[in-house]
Amino acid sequence: MHIETVKDRAGPREFSPTDDLPEKYREAATRMIEFHANSEIMGAYLERPFIRQAPSIDRKLAFSAKVQDEIGHGQLLYRAAESLGVKTRKEMLDDLANGDGKFLNCFHYPMEGWPETAMIAFFVDGAAMRRQATLRRTSWEPYAHAMDKVCFEEGFHVKHGEDILATLMSGSRKEQQKTQEAFETWWPRIIQFFGPTDDQSKHHDFAADVGLKQKSNDELRTAFLNQYIPKAQQYGLEIPDEPRIRKNDEGDYEVVEDDLDWAEFFTIAKNEYEPGVGQIEGRNAAQEAVEWVRETIDGTDVPSGGQTPQAAD
Amino acid sequence: MIWEVFRQEEQGEYHTHCGNVHAPDREMAKQFAAIQHGRRKPTNNLWVVPKTEIGELDGDEYAFGGATDKSYRWATGYDVTADDASEVVESSGEQEDAKERRNEVV
Repeated sequence: MHIETVKDRAGPREFSPTDDLPEKYREAATRMIEFHANSEIMGAYLERPFIRQAPSIDRKLAFSAKVQDEIGHGQLLYRAAESLGVKTRKEMLDDLANGDGKFLNCFHYPMEGWPETAMIAFFVDGAAMRRQATLRRTSWEPYAHAMDKVCFEEGFHVKHGEDILATLMSGSRKEQQKTQEAFETWWPRIIQFFGPTDDQSKHHDFAADVGLKQKSNDELRTAFLNQYIPKAQQYGLEIPDEPRIRKNDEGDYEVVEDDLDWAEFFTIAKNEYEPGVGQIEGRNAAQEAVEWVRETIDGTDVPSGGQTPQAAD
Repeated sequence: MIWEVFRQEEQGEYHTHCGNVHAPDREMAKQFAAIQHGRRKPTNNLWVVPKTEIGELDGDEYAFGGATDKSYRWATGYDVTADDASEVVESSGEQEDAKERRNEVV
């Protein structure tokens, strides 16, 4: 299929593995879905310690369920990416381990304490869900199908996150203070979740033209701010003075981009931010520590009657 | 040899099981599937799968969803978020629906 035909036909769930798609489409889709899959995995690793550190049995159960979900989302997305025929699942996982795989800015920052879980589980997941809901209409059918399942499950994550925030903000003064501090640390990173403004975004034009991306960075950021600023205020959080956020003529919130640390953002995007390198290496070490489990499984004879599984599975 | 047939009605939708055909090989199975299952109902794409390659797990022998109370992993278990984030509301709705239908089955 010619690239111009792809652009003409581009619509929700328009292209599937039966279509002969140009390399440029396949590569752009792979880059996008691989990034998404990597982010699910790195997010799960970031939250994993809080299964142990959870303050109650309910939170412990919910966190273990959530981490399990996120790993599952990663697996779904690697399958959707693999179906493009550009990279195998193994190549993507190896790249993530050796530091070449890219993932969401927020998951490069380590988490120190419990109040930060509300920042990830409510605000970052809320932002992610805003974006993912639009991706149910992406042009790569396997990606859209993965999003159906992810969005179905993600509602629990965001509500659980909000429940943590509600509990903390109705707790002791010290708890409220710690939560406000965590909010101030995470707020600019959360805004940067949506990436640079549209005019600075490197990949948007093509991804939008071929229907992979359904909404621009700016549209998503605005929609997120419109929903989540009132939410934060409702729970008694104070929005930090910087980055400055103003209401424009249409009544939408807008961020003064220059108030955000873009040097740090682009260092992160290159996987060169020091704490983020620690996150990548931490996951790699965890992977190696359980190598024996994979070896044991791989060594098991395949029961007769079944097909030999693909190497990537 | 039996081949199970899955039909996708329109581009972008899911393939759903619609029946099976008797055929000696994959090529014949595809032809029979097209004739038997792709003629009258709207069809965009068909899959044929050898029945022997399908693994089956039945609700009689397996506790789907687990045997313990897992309300903590449902959006419906948390009493927060009113009508402000449409995508969260939508997800909760889908979960509520799934839960209801699961309970009907049990």
